[in-house]
Amino acid sequence: MKKVVFAFMIVFTFLAVSTFANAAARPGYDDKEIRIGQWGPQTGPAAPWGSVARGSALLFNVVNEQGGIHGRKIKYFIRDDQYNPAQTKAVVKELVERVGVFAFVGGVGGACGLAVMDYLAENKIIWVGPSAAITDFVFPVKPYLFAVYPLYEDEGSILAKYVVEKLKSKKIAFFYQNDAYGKDGLKGAKKRLATYKMKFVEEIPVEPGEKDLSSQMLKFKKSGADVVMMFVNPTIATIALKTSATVDFKPQWVSSNTLSDYGLMFKITGGLWEGVITGAFGMTPTADHPLMNMYREAGKKYAPEERWGTFYLAGVVFADPLVEALKRVGPKLTRDAALRELNSLTNHQTIGPKITWTPKIHQGTDSIQIQKCGPNASYILLQDWTPNELATWKKK
Amino acid sequence: MFEMLLIEGLAIGACYGLFGVAVAIIYKTSDVINFAQGEMGMVATFVAYHIMVIYGFPFWIAFPATMIFALLLGMAIEFCFLRPAKNPTVLGLLIITLGAEMLLMGAAGWKWGAEQKDFPFLLSIHKKYEIFPGLALNEWTIGVFILSIVIMTLLFLFFRYSRLGIAMRATQQNTNAAKIMGIKVERVFSITWGISSMIGAIAAMFFAARSVLDPNFMMEPFMRAFAAAVLGGLTSIPGVVIGGLFLGIIENFFGYAWPEWKPIVAFVVIILIITIRPSGLFSKHYVKKV
Repeated sequence: MKKVVFAFMIVFTFLAVSTFANAAARPGYDDKEIRIGQWGPQTGPAAPWGSVARGSALLFNVVNEQGGIHGRKIKYFIRDDQYNPAQTKAVVKELVERVGVFAFVGGVGGACGLAVMDYLAENKIIWVGPSAAITDFVFPVKPYLFAVYPLYEDEGSILAKYVVEKLKSKKIAFFYQNDAYGKDGLKGAKKRLATYKMKFVEEIPVEPGEKDLSSQMLKFKKSGADVVMMFVNPTIATIALKTSATVDFKPQWVSSNTLSDYGLMFKITGGLWEGVITGAFGMTPTADHPLMNMYREAGKKYAPEERWGTFYLAGVVFADPLVEALKRVGPKLTRDAALRELNSLTNHQTIGPKITWTPKIHQGTDSIQIQKCGPNASYILLQDWTPNELATWKKK
Repeated sequence: MFEMLLIEGLAIGACYGLFGVAVAIIYKTSDVINFAQGEMGMVATFVAYHIMVIYGFPFWIAFPATMIFALLLGMAIEFCFLRPAKNPTVLGLLIITLGAEMLLMGAAGWKWGAEQKDFPFLLSIHKKYEIFPGLALNEWTIGVFILSIVIMTLLFLFFRYSRLGIAMRATQQNTNAAKIMGIKVERVFSITWGISSMIGAIAAMFFAARSVLDPNFMMEPFMRAFAAAVLGGLTSIPGVVIGGLFLGIIENFFGYAWPEWKPIVAFVVIILIITIRPSGLFSKHYVKKV
C-alpha cells in the first residue's frame, strides 16, 4: 500500500512541476499561432452583453483569413464567466496557466475586470480594451493594460455640450444610476454645464433594481425639463420611458453609450426608443464605410446567426488596436515589442474612436459619436467623433 | 401633481397588493412564506409571452392558457417539492421554496434567455380614458384597480362562505383537527397553491407590462409585495391589499420628496409599524399556549 501511495506522490509531483514549468515557459505564441483570450457572460443575467466576446471572434476570423499576423494565426479562446467576478478569476487563471495566452482583449463587466486586474499585471499579461469604463483601470497607469472605452465623465461632458449648443435646451435634468457609472456621467455633465453657468433643473439617482419610477418621472415633469440625460441600465431606461409616457411627460431623452444598442432598446421599449439620442463608442452598425461593409460581409459568413448590433461590433472595436500593434511588431514577436508598439500607437482608427497611447497615458480616447434612434431602430448619425476638450486626464 | 402621485401610488400599490394576496393565501393555509412566488409568476408570464409572440395567438387565447398553466404549475410545485418533505419544519419548507425559486429562474433563463423582452399586454399604458372631468386614467391603471377589487371580493367571499374556503382556514388553524373532521388536507394545499399561482401570474403580467420581461423581473416586486403583505397582516386578504396601497402611496410621496430614499423608505415605515403591531395592521394577533 505504501508503495502505491509513494508512486502516486511521485507521479503527482512530476505532473505538478511539469504543468507549472509548462505554464511559466509559455509566452503565449509560437511560430504558428498567437493565443488570445476573453471572458464574457455567455449565460446568466448579463448574457446580452456576451456578444462583445463573440464580436472579437469576427475580427480574428478576418485577420486569419488574410493570412494571420506575419504568418501567425490567432487562436482565440472565449470563456463564460456569467458576469460573476469569482468565475472570471477562475477562467482567467485557466487561460493564463493552462492554455497560456499572450494577451486578453475586451472582458465585460467592471467588477469582473477589477477582480483579475492585479493577477494579470503580476503575470505580465497584456490586456487591451476592457469592456467597461473604470477609472481604476487607467489611473494610475498600469503597464500592461490599455483602455479603449471612453470614460463616462468625458461622455457626460460631450453629451451636455451637445444638449446646450445643438438642442438649445435651457432646462436640462439628469437621471443617473447610483453607482460609479452614473456618478461619473453626472460629474462630467456638471463640469460642462458650469462652463455655461448653468445647473441641472433636477438630478435624480436611481437604484439599478427599482421597478416603479412614477414619482421620479413626476418630479422631472414638475421641474419643466425639456431634456433628460440618463446614465442608467436598459431596464431602468425602459421603465422610465414607459412611465413618463403614462404621466404625459415627453422630454428629449439623451443617454450614455451603454444604451446605444437600438435593436434591443427599440424592442424592449415597444418602440418608445425612437427619437432617443445616445453617445456611441463605435460607428453606426449601418454605416456605409469600407471597413464596416467588409465586417458586415464577414459577419454573414462567419456568424450569420448573430444580431448585427452595437455590442457585437464593440468586440471588434476593443480588440482591433492589439491586432494593429502586433502587425507593427513584425515577425520577431516578443511581449516587450508588443508593449512598445502599444505604447506608441497614435491616432489609430478603424470603426471606433481614434486611439492614442503613450507610456504615461493608457486611456486611449476621449471621443464619442452622437447618434439617434430613428424609425424601426435605425441609426442616424448626428455628430461625428467629438473629443472632450475639458478632459483633465489628457494634461497629465 | 398631488392627484397624479396619489393615482400612480395607488395603481402600483394595487399591483403589490394583488401579488401580496398570492403570498398571503399560501401563508393562510400552510404557514409557509413562498419565496418562489415571484418566479412562478415570472415563468407564467413567459408562457403567455411565448404563446403570443412565438406562436402568434391573441391575448384572449394566451390568457386562459396561461391561467391553466399557472394553476398546474402551483399544484405541481406543491406536489413535487413540498409534499414529499417528511415532518417538515416551517424553516425547512421555506428553504424548499427558495430552492424552487432558483430552479424556476434557471429554467426560464435556459428556455427564454437573459435578454429583456417587451411583454405585449392587453391593457395599454398609453390609452387613456377620462373617468371624471379632469381625471384621465390609462387602461393599465383602470385594469389593475378593477381586478384588485374583484379578486379581493371573490377571495373574501370564498374564504368566508364556501366549503373549500372554510376548509382552507380550518387547515391553517389546526391541520390535525381538520384531518379528523374529514378535510382532505393535501387536496386543500394543492388547490391553494394553484389559486395562489394564478393570482400571482395575473399580477406578474401587470408588472411586466410596465417594465420589461426577463428572468429577474419579479425579484424586486416580490420583495415589495411581501412587505405589503406583512404590513397589512399576512392572514387578512383585505389587509394585504390595503397594505399594498399604503406601500405604493408612501413610496410615491416620499420618493417624490426625497428620490434617493425611495428604495428604503417603505421598509423603514414597515419596520416601525411591525414594531408596534407585530401581526400587521389588519391581522388578529394569535397567542399560542405552550
